[in-house]
Amino acid sequence: MSINESFKIVPQGDIAILEIDLIGEKVNKLSSPVMARLKEVLEELKKSSYKALIIVSKKPKIFIAGADIEEIKTMTSKEQFNKAVEGGQSILNQLEDLPQITIAAVNGACAGGGCELILACDYRIASDDSSTRIGLPETQLGILPGFGGCVRLPRVVGLQAALDVILAGKLLNSKKAQKIGLVDRVVHPNLLLSESLKWAQEILKEGKGKRRKTFKPVGLMNVVLEGPIGRGIVFSKAREGVMKVTHGHYPAPLKALEVVKRTYGMSDRENALKIERESFCEVAVTDISKNLIHVFFLTEMVKKQSGVRGVEVKPTEVKSIGILGAGTMGGGIAYVAADKGISVRMKDLSWDALGKGLKHAQDLWSKLLKKKVIDSYQLKQKMDLISIGLDYSGFKTMDVVIEAIVEDMSIKQKVTGETAGQMRPDAIIATNTSSLSVTEISKGHPRPEFFAGMHFFNPVNKMPLVEVIRGEKTSDATIATIFELCKKMGKMPVVVKDGPGFLVNRLLLPYMSEAAFLLQEGMSVEVVDKAYVKEFGMPMGPFELMDEVGLDVCLKVLKIFKKSFGERIEISPLMDKLATTGRMGKKNSKGFYSYDAKGKRLDVDPTVYIDLGLSTSTNPYTTKECIERGIFAMINECSLAMIQDHIVESPNEVDLAMIMGTGFPPFRGGLLKYADSIGVTQVVDQLELYAAQRKAPRLKPAAPLISMAKSQKKFY
Amino acid sequence: MKSPRDVVIVDGYRTPFTKAGTKLKKVHPADLGKAALKELLAKTNIDVKLIDEVIIGNTGNPVDTVNISRVVALSSGLPIQTSAYTVHRNCASALESISQGFEKIRSGTMDVIVAGGTENMTQMPTLLPPKIQDIFNKLFAAKGPGQAIPLLGSLFKAEMKQIKALLLGNMKDEYFPVISVLKGLTDPFVGINMGQTAEIIAKEWNVTRLEQDQYALKSHQKASAAIKAGKMKEEIVPVPLGPDYKEIISEDIGPRESQTLEALQKLKPFFDKQTGTITPGNSCPITDGAAMVLLMSREKAEALGYKPYARILSYAFAGLEPERMGLGPAYSTPLALKRAKMDLKQIGLVELNEAFAAQVMSCQKALNSDEFCRTKLGLPGKVGELSTEILNVNGGAIAYGHPVGATGTRLVLTLMKEMRRRNTQFGLATLCIGGGQGGSIIIENEA
Repeated sequence: MSINESFKIVPQGDIAILEIDLIGEKVNKLSSPVMARLKEVLEELKKSSYKALIIVSKKPKIFIAGADIEEIKTMTSKEQFNKAVEGGQSILNQLEDLPQITIAAVNGACAGGGCELILACDYRIASDDSSTRIGLPETQLGILPGFGGCVRLPRVVGLQAALDVILAGKLLNSKKAQKIGLVDRVVHPNLLLSESLKWAQEILKEGKGKRRKTFKPVGLMNVVLEGPIGRGIVFSKAREGVMKVTHGHYPAPLKALEVVKRTYGMSDRENALKIERESFCEVAVTDISKNLIHVFFLTEMVKKQSGVRGVEVKPTEVKSIGILGAGTMGGGIAYVAADKGISVRMKDLSWDALGKGLKHAQDLWSKLLKKKVIDSYQLKQKMDLISIGLDYSGFKTMDVVIEAIVEDMSIKQKVTGETAGQMRPDAIIATNTSSLSVTEISKGHPRPEFFAGMHFFNPVNKMPLVEVIRGEKTSDATIATIFELCKKMGKMPVVVKDGPGFLVNRLLLPYMSEAAFLLQEGMSVEVVDKAYVKEFGMPMGPFELMDEVGLDVCLKVLKIFKKSFGERIEISPLMDKLATTGRMGKKNSKGFYSYDAKGKRLDVDPTVYIDLGLSTSTNPYTTKECIERGIFAMINECSLAMIQDHIVESPNEVDLAMIMGTGFPPFRGGLLKYADSIGVTQVVDQLELYAAQRKAPRLKPAAPLISMAKSQKKFY
Repeated sequence: MKSPRDVVIVDGYRTPFTKAGTKLKKVHPADLGKAALKELLAKTNIDVKLIDEVIIGNTGNPVDTVNISRVVALSSGLPIQTSAYTVHRNCASALESISQGFEKIRSGTMDVIVAGGTENMTQMPTLLPPKIQDIFNKLFAAKGPGQAIPLLGSLFKAEMKQIKALLLGNMKDEYFPVISVLKGLTDPFVGINMGQTAEIIAKEWNVTRLEQDQYALKSHQKASAAIKAGKMKEEIVPVPLGPDYKEIISEDIGPRESQTLEALQKLKPFFDKQTGTITPGNSCPITDGAAMVLLMSREKAEALGYKPYARILSYAFAGLEPERMGLGPAYSTPLALKRAKMDLKQIGLVELNEAFAAQVMSCQKALNSDEFCRTKLGLPGKVGELSTEILNVNGGAIAYGHPVGATGTRLVLTLMKEMRRRNTQFGLATLCIGGGQGGSIIIENEA
């Protein structure tokens, strides 16, 4: 019923305007019922006497967002996928085969199936509104364009440009889309319809009719690249590029590449689409795709949340913030805030420190300037948002102050109290502590309900996660405001309860600590790191990570854990030795790895073995054991953190936090999705085995994990 | 008598004043203004939405920011809705901005106004002489190489003539580049340089070279003492120097603690080589800097809980012969006093801008002269003695410099902060204005 009203044909003389406006939905998407209705509409149009068709969306910022991902989520078998994709392909063929000339007039997001729909039109015009983004993001979800995108895009924009769009899965603004030829014209959104009509009339008048889809190479470079030898180079370069980014853990882009390679230049449309369809079904049923879709929904979930469950709390809009401490974290936070238009004032103890904070932000924007992501005026505007000072000037105008000073409880408490005295009573202080108790720090605040944790990850500009930490007295309103602030800063907030290491560091510490034991037992740094990166898909191995975090920090936090959690935390004697030999990791260019003058990581520092009194590595264990001991230690700790200590409320938060905060491989769906995929029982058995074999009581499965195994429970 | 529509100065700050060509030479005047304004906003913790208007003085009128006030306002984080405009009254531009703010608040039109001034004299451009500009104009309009090539030939010839003029140092040559800072310091009506106007009054009022040099020395000594005592820290906000931010400029570059009379005496007169007395040592240096104050109606300031420094009682501008512009304060001050219904004796502290030592001393003599006051001002007798004891007690522009568009506000904020320190009730800030005017403002301590 409502679907029928979602498509409306508005006649304009001999031109038909097809308006798409899904009733009862925020966005236009190509679900099965929508496609079915589209089929009917196209059949009507085919029989009509209209000479031209213009397709527009009536949604303000959306053209067509793509296929219905909820629907994809429910499908499991190749047969299901095949049927759905075949249907979609044939409907878009129908569109392509219409006797009328067809123009897609795009305003707003036009992704995936939406982009494939406009590719089946003869002509494309787009608005220059910032919401207009066109592309094929399918590979990001572990699938590939299946409604003819892999086949049609290379024919419209050429091989090279098409591969860039398909393999990276990024959306283009209208300017870039026009540059590669994905759209023919770009106009102001208010002129989109009138210009489309004018264009249609021109085409009709000139009798140009339908447009051939074959792409004619222009320019010598293109002729060379599009020739048979050139193609080979393009494909092998593209493959190299994909492998460099994915280490082969993501099959979808490779599959898409293969489809393009097999179908490019093929004259038989049906056959080409069949190849695309079969490949689509192959990747769509994999766990990897399911996991990536799971991660997509996790991020969508955060967009809808307020950070507080059960009660409706209105966040306060944050327009201006203060930052205490202009170090790496402070400067990074200033950058992400000012980048999103929030006014920032940094306070530190010396002009020198503040100057470094300013430079940190300036350098990050300068990189974007070089890449032409922003222009010099934008850079200046952003820098203008940051001011600096040694005193509390301006703090009465701030909505939130983020404290990023030295990790010392008594100093933090003192500064918190002092700062609170300089702020409005309704303003919030958030600590960026990574290892201290938020509740304990909040005791320095006269109104602890206005105090929370806001734990950013280093480097702040790259890591999406922020742990929003609820202290014992933190109010719901405070959590909601900080949660919203994170989103405004373009970050992914996860609310966690106060406790040693909060969530992410609590899980990472056993993982890093286990690596030290592996080293002690004869494994080499390279072998262990390589296993995690190449085999498991972590962005860096545990030794690289320890260097990044700082070896002194690791030891300090481990000691805090031992104090809090007692016997089950074991610290390898190597960790102590590292501290005494002055190895602090990246920050003093001396850790497990050596570093060049610019701080870039080089090879493993061979002297580390000598310093630690280790003989030549014999690498006695399999990579499987190396990986399992680290990852299972995390799962084990997570069962305690989540089930026993209620640090977070659901496995969703764990997986989101691990992916966004540590780069845990998204294709595995997150730590607990991974645990479920191999089975909790298996995890428990292996942990028992390692605990016994390696005389490592720390690896004994925890009670909540054992009881899950006994009752055959899953995390999800 | 206090009134809710009294106009009060809540607070004020300035950047360091640095001699042209030194530390702040690369900072755009809009950024100098931003540095001062942003800190004023922070230090007063004001909700920026409350600011009705931003009025900023500037004389250099940079080509890329012709309404520089708007640029300063936006880059300082004021809302896009806040109106902003730039004012130009030469040396008194930043007093003009305050007086306009005063009028708008007193009349009840507005409640909160930022007034100030900014100038980067280093960056005042060097222009093409009209002869060469003419060739460029034709070149831009040329159609095809047939027209352009001969023009390029004349351009080449003209450039050769320019190089010749430069080599000979002949500034009167019509091919010599137009140095706008020098043009600005030349009176457009009578065609003489500001230094020459000072020569005229020095001679007319019998101010000797030694007196001028002694005055200049004192200015440096008083300024150095004020800096040492930390007084300038109460009005200066530091300017971070991008893009690497390794340096943050927080001190004036101008005052010289080690200045000696002997060194000053050795300098040659610049404007009148034979009989002149004006040297670079007893004149103010060309300087970069900005200053801002926050003005409010008394009722608004009270409602927001501010404790202002001062209230503005009156202001006045008055004209005189352009070639005697240095005497301007002697014309505008009696008028400002009259408007405030006050006598010069009541004034406890004075900031009189030190464009030239000769000009300051001439003003003192003129105000204390029955004849001058009768014939030139139409008063029954002399206005009175402007005692050196209360004049420029922290030194003046000879030491700090005179960034033309910013000085007016600098005088007011230096005055009001010193009035609070000394618990002085009434203060006067005044300055001479190129083109033949004087400007004065009288304020009362609010403490």
